[in-house]
Amino acid sequence: MCDACGCDLPIENSTDSKIIEVHQSLLKANTEMADLNRSHFRAMGTVVINLISSPGSGKTTLLEHTIEQLDPAIKIGVIEGDIETERDADRIRTKGVPVVQITTGGACHLDAAQIHKGLHRLQHEYDINSLDLLFIENVGNLVCPATFDLGEDIRVVLVSVPEGPDKPAKYPRAFLGSHAFIISKTDLLPYFDFPVAEARREALEINPKLEVMELSATTGDGFEQWLSYLRQLVQHQKTTNGEK
Amino acid sequence: MHELSLVQSLMEQLQDLATENKATKIITVTMEIGPLAGVVIDSFEFAFEALAKDNPLTTKAKLVISKPAISYSCLDCQHVVDNCQERPSLCPACQAPHLYPDGGDQLILSRIEME
Repeated sequence: MCDACGCDLPIENSTDSKIIEVHQSLLKANTEMADLNRSHFRAMGTVVINLISSPGSGKTTLLEHTIEQLDPAIKIGVIEGDIETERDADRIRTKGVPVVQITTGGACHLDAAQIHKGLHRLQHEYDINSLDLLFIENVGNLVCPATFDLGEDIRVVLVSVPEGPDKPAKYPRAFLGSHAFIISKTDLLPYFDFPVAEARREALEINPKLEVMELSATTGDGFEQWLSYLRQLVQHQKTTNGEK
Repeated sequence: MHELSLVQSLMEQLQDLATENKATKIITVTMEIGPLAGVVIDSFEFAFEALAKDNPLTTKAKLVISKPAISYSCLDCQHVVDNCQERPSLCPACQAPHLYPDGGDQLILSRIEME
């Protein structure tokens, strides 16, 4: 209605633009889904670990050896992410733990919605209501997965010795968002120029809170530190759940 | 190249906001992208151009990106270094290298101008 004469003609402002203050994260939908995943994981009493690295850093091998060596009383599940194929899930399946494969069909990262579906598939296919540890093996890529919260408790970034020590400096976002940094394939140190101290220092400069571990899944060197890190996480989760 | 999927979700938000506000044309989209958001601005702009031209709502939309500065705290002496675009290599107060960012990973649709 017109303020001046009180007539019913609509005010002609359709050509005027209006500005809307939105202040909304682009990742809003993903974050909401990640929060939902978090409450689902809490209800299952599960510690969730998101593994991020370039292709070929040894994420699947790390998981195979972890499943073999971790205490049998700790119930493990795995969600595998790849662009194509069931190959990684097949490798994990032979170890006898519940596993589902998510194939992104080209997408360079996993998002919270895919994990939500994957978790339901895992529960449905294996009829499980609780897990102590759930590993999410992200798509091999040090860039894109770093932006997407999946609802995990712990993010672990891997760099293998053949890749070189400059990955923290070149891909800071992956290291900044992580809790632990694993230098893998340390059995290859004699054959590559990989100054461990330098990689460590550069990673810690980017994120001083990182827990840095060096290991070789093949020889078992340094593996105990990783296993003990996992045991502590599981123990802490059980204590926190017990207190509720 | 996750910028493309981020721009896809931006397009969905724009569509929703336009419907909510009965707008048919978006003139300007203002984003705030922190230096630690893990987003390549060029790729983001490229994806925006590519997707915006396919939708009558956004064909003429202009994308404005602001890159806010962030502050870093020294974990050793708690000194705060304000207004950084890049991570300082050493704490100016105690010379320690342990500087932790405060935010900087925002990826925010700040405002839109529409009609």
